Amino acid sequence: MRSVVRTEKLTKRFGALTAVDGIDLDVREGEVFGFLGPNGAGKTTTLRLLCALIAPTSGTAEIAGFRLGRDDPKIRAAVGILTEQPGLYERQSAWDNLVFYATLYGLSTAVARSQAERYLRLMGLWERRAEPVVTFSRGMKQKMAIARAALHEPRVLFLDEPTTGLDPDAAKTVREFIVALRGEGRTVFLCTHNLDEADRLCDRIAFFRHRVLRIAQPDDLRAELYGRATEIRIMPKPRPEDLARVQAVPGVHEAHLENGSIVVASKDPLRTNPLLVRALVAGGAEIAFVTERRAHLEDVYLRIVEPIE
Amino acid sequence: MSAVLAVSPARPTLVRAVCVREWREALGNKLLVGMTLLPPVVILVAGIGAVAAAAVNPPSDRDVQALYAAAPAVAGLDPKEAVQGFIATYFLILFMLIPTVVPLTMAIYSVIGEKASRTLEPLLATPVGVGDLLFAKSLASTVPSVIVTWTAYGIYLATVISIGSHAAANAVTAPRWILAIVVLVPLLTLLSVNLGILISTRVNDVRVAQQIGGLVVVPVVGLGIAQVTGRVVLDNGAFLEMTLVLIALDVVVFWLARLAFQRENILVRWR
Repeated sequence: MRSVVRTEKLTKRFGALTAVDGIDLDVREGEVFGFLGPNGAGKTTTLRLLCALIAPTSGTAEIAGFRLGRDDPKIRAAVGILTEQPGLYERQSAWDNLVFYATLYGLSTAVARSQAERYLRLMGLWERRAEPVVTFSRGMKQKMAIARAALHEPRVLFLDEPTTGLDPDAAKTVREFIVALRGEGRTVFLCTHNLDEADRLCDRIAFFRHRVLRIAQPDDLRAELYGRATEIRIMPKPRPEDLARVQAVPGVHEAHLENGSIVVASKDPLRTNPLLVRALVAGGAEIAFVTERRAHLEDVYLRIVEPIE
Repeated sequence: MSAVLAVSPARPTLVRAVCVREWREALGNKLLVGMTLLPPVVILVAGIGAVAAAAVNPPSDRDVQALYAAAPAVAGLDPKEAVQGFIATYFLILFMLIPTVVPLTMAIYSVIGEKASRTLEPLLATPVGVGDLLFAKSLASTVPSVIVTWTAYGIYLATVISIGSHAAANAVTAPRWILAIVVLVPLLTLLSVNLGILISTRVNDVRVAQQIGGLVVVPVVGLGIAQVTGRVVLDNGAFLEMTLVLIALDVVVFWLARLAFQRENILVRWR
C-alpha cells in the first residue's frame, strides 16, 4: 500500500517546550491509524502539523503526495480534520454550515449541495437540516463536524477524539462511518483515548508521548508483551489432575489455575488447543468454555506509555 | 475511492460566502443588530429633531450673537437660518461617528465570536488563504456599515431639504460634505473594522474590545468640535489631507491586522 502520510524527524518546539520531537511516521493508504497518548503528549500539535495548520520547527513531511511547507493549501484541500471542539456556527442551520464549508473547499454550488445532502443523510441528520445547530445534541454536533471534515472527500481524515462524550448509538454511527471510509480506501488518522475503540478500529497504532514510542498492530503488541493465552473453564471446577494433564501437553509453556479456570500459555495455540481439549476430555473433565484470553489494549498502553512518567 | 473534490476557492466566491455567513450570523444576534442600528437612528432622530425644533423656535439674540462668534460661516445670516445651518452642519459631523462605532462592533463580534465558539480552527483548516479570509471578514463588516451610514445620511439629507431652511439645505448638500460622506465614510469604516480585528486578536471580551476600539472616536469628535467652534476650517485642502491620512492609516492597520491574523498565531497564541 502507498504511503499517504510520511514524516521524517518532524519536530515542533514552542520556546523551550518540545511538543513533537522528531517523529517518523509512515501511514498507508486505506488504513485506520491509531494515535494514542496521554493528555499533553502533543497529539493535537501533531495533527495540526500534518494538516498544514502550523509550521514545523524542523523535519519534513509529505501528506497525500504534497510537501509540508511548500504545498500547504494543497495539503489542506486533500485532508479533512475533526478538531477537539465541533466549532460549528450554531445560529445557522446544519445545511448552511455544510454548504458554507463546501464553498470554502472550492466545491461548485451544485456539488456543494449534493455533498451536503449526502453527508447529512449518512449521519442521520437530513430530517433536521433546516434547524439551527444550537438545537442539536452534542452527538449530533459531533456528527455534523465529522460530516464537515469529510465533505470534500479528503484522502486522509484526521479525527481527534471522534466519539468522546457521545451516546452509544451516536458512537456506533461514527465507528461505522470510519469503517466505511476505510472500505472506500481512505486513510483515517485517529486520535483517541478510547482504547477499546482503537482496538476495534485500528489496523496499526502508534503510542506517542512527544515522540513515537512504538508502532504496531494491536494483536502483535499483545502477543509480544503478554504472549497468547487460552482460558479453559471446567465444570464444576478444575481438579489438580486436570492441571497436570494440561501441563503435560506438548507446546504448553505454562499453566495455572485462576478463578475456576485453567489459564494456559503456549507458543502456538492453534496447534496446542485441540490437544489440550482431547487430553482433558480423555481425563473426564467437563469443559464448559475454551476462550482466547486477550490482554486489553489498556494493559499494552500502560506498559508502553506509562513507564516514562 | 472518489477523488478529492477540494480546491482553493476563487476569491469572489470566498468573499461572498464569508459575507453571507457573517451577515446571517449578525442578523441572528439581536444585541448586535441593536448596537448596529442604535447610533445611526439616534443621530438621525436627534439631527432631524434639532433642525425641526430650530425651525419652530426662534433663537434668542444672545444665542445668535454667540453663534455668530463661534461659527463665522453662518455670520450675517438670518438668525433662524443661521441656527438651522449650524445645527445641520454639526450633525453632519456626528454622521462621521457612525462609521467609527458601527463597524467596530461588527468586527469585534466577528472575531471574538469565532474565538468563543471555536470556529476558527475548522475555518483555517480549509485551503483558504488567511489574507483572503481577513479581507472577506473586513468587507463583511465594512459593507453594511457603509450602507447604514449612507442610508442614514440620505434620509437626513432628504428630510433637512424638505423641512429645513435654505442655509440648512445648503449645508447638507455642500459638495465637500457629500464627498466626505462618499469617500471618508468607507475609509473610516475600513480603519475601524481593521482596528476592531486587531484588538480582537488580543482580548476575548467584547466590552473590553469596544472600550479600547472606542478611542478611534476621539479624533473624529475632536475634529468635529474644532470645526464647529471655528478653530479648524475643513476646507477642500483639509479634506484631501484627511483622505490621504486615512488611506495611509488603513494600509498600516490592515497590514498590522494581517500580521496578527496568521494561522499559527490564531491557533497557538490567541486565547
